[in-house]
Amino acid sequence: MKEDSQPLVDHLFRHHYGKMVSTLTRIFGLNNLGLIEDAVQDTFVKALMHWQNGIPPNPEGWLTAAAKNRAIDLFRKIKSDHSRAEKVSLEYSENTIEQLFLDYQIEDSQLRMIFTACHPVLNPKDQIAFALKTIAGFSDKEIAVALLLKLETVKKRLSRARKTIKEQGIAFAIPNKEEMIPRLDQVHNVLYLIFNEGFHSTQSALVLRKELCGEAMRLCSLILKKQYLRTGKGYALFGLFCFHAARLDTKLSSDQSLIDLKNQDRTQWDKSLIDLGNEAMHKAMDFEELSIFHLEAAIATEHVKASSFETTNWEKIKNIHEIIHQYFPSDFSILNQAIVFLQLDQPKDCLALLKQIKPENLEKRAYLFYGLYAEYYLYIGDEKQAIASLNLALSNVSNEAEKAYLEKKRANLLNQ
Amino acid sequence: MKNFILIFMGANYSDLGFSPKEMQERLGNWGDWTKRLSEKGIYKGGDGLTEAIRRVEGADKVVIDRTSAELKEVIGGYILITAKDFDEATEIAKDYPDFDLPGGAVEVREIMDYSA
Repeated sequence: MKEDSQPLVDHLFRHHYGKMVSTLTRIFGLNNLGLIEDAVQDTFVKALMHWQNGIPPNPEGWLTAAAKNRAIDLFRKIKSDHSRAEKVSLEYSENTIEQLFLDYQIEDSQLRMIFTACHPVLNPKDQIAFALKTIAGFSDKEIAVALLLKLETVKKRLSRARKTIKEQGIAFAIPNKEEMIPRLDQVHNVLYLIFNEGFHSTQSALVLRKELCGEAMRLCSLILKKQYLRTGKGYALFGLFCFHAARLDTKLSSDQSLIDLKNQDRTQWDKSLIDLGNEAMHKAMDFEELSIFHLEAAIATEHVKASSFETTNWEKIKNIHEIIHQYFPSDFSILNQAIVFLQLDQPKDCLALLKQIKPENLEKRAYLFYGLYAEYYLYIGDEKQAIASLNLALSNVSNEAEKAYLEKKRANLLNQ
Repeated sequence: MKNFILIFMGANYSDLGFSPKEMQERLGNWGDWTKRLSEKGIYKGGDGLTEAIRRVEGADKVVIDRTSAELKEVIGGYILITAKDFDEATEIAKDYPDFDLPGGAVEVREIMDYSA
């Protein structure tokens, strides 16, 4: 054990895995992902064996060198063996392979992988699983845990993604100018979904869910690093992530139960993330476009700006929700408006909107609809109906933390 | 103080399909353990062993190649420590971080002291 060796950076292995899988895909192609993943995995096992007596001074450099050697090995083997099914691209020689392990090339490879994962021919559900696997370095099992899916489902999605990539002959490339705008849109949407999986479905005990948020933010900033990929929408998305992430740690109490916005300890909100979010929103203003992310970020800003729940500028939030509903109407946009009406002491308006909503359109978030009904009945003093609504909410909730939250609420009512 | 060797048995890492995250956690556990032993001044070194196994056997010196994947229990590495006695060395072995691996076990052996 060397006395001076430092602990490893958080997520070093996971992130490095994504970098190296992307880099090796440049060399061996998307058709050989299985082979590539095994090769990268080998370098981690090697690190594990070598580092038990002490971590080298530059662990990331060590891992990169190991992956480079492994790639060159594999390249020689495949080239010399013509019977092998895998094909290696002829554009590379050992010399050019070396170049691919330079930092800026690694970043370029990662971007190619992000655009591949978010390719429009892939099913959106497969896009998320594929991105988490090949870019974020999650294992199948970790994806299943993070997304609350069965392991079999994850495996199916991943193999379907690979099959589609193969069949459609998707190029491992960054889209050209004409294609860029819609493709970048798709990337933003996938990142948004990954973040929301982590943020909204708080499966309390699992650190992995927080890592989903971190991953979405990391990939978003990777994109914003490149001038040609910077857009107002991208900055607004990053700003939105920052404002939400600033509250993430205060959403759970020490006993892992859920704390609602009203009761979160606002002094614990992460000031540096809020500043980072504000900075991103300023940059977003340099572009003319306006997106749903701008609007959602504007709402999130109001929340992080307010020093207490009571002093929140609900009037402004209501106006933004109205704009959202105007441009992107859905049962969710109605529900959000209804929530705000109750804060504005307008229960009748709240009820009128609730009546327009079809809870089945909210899918797994239908419990939010019944939860709001309960709030409404409480507001007008009808505890019996409030309890009935909570029962409905409970029968529609699958998330343990949300369930516990609703149960606590019901217990309080029953005990009065 | 006496010298001991702790010999680690168990499945090979490469055969267990750990995720990058899990591998980093395992490495962290190892680092913590050897660091604690170093701080007590009782850690005297050690190494991991690669997967290749070749066995030379019997009077005919038959050479057999085996891979760790075929074997349930292989020696994956060792460390050298000093301890007051066998019991203390055994207590140290109980902190081995890989007991949860299939076949995970530690063999504690005292190194003979010829000067005694």
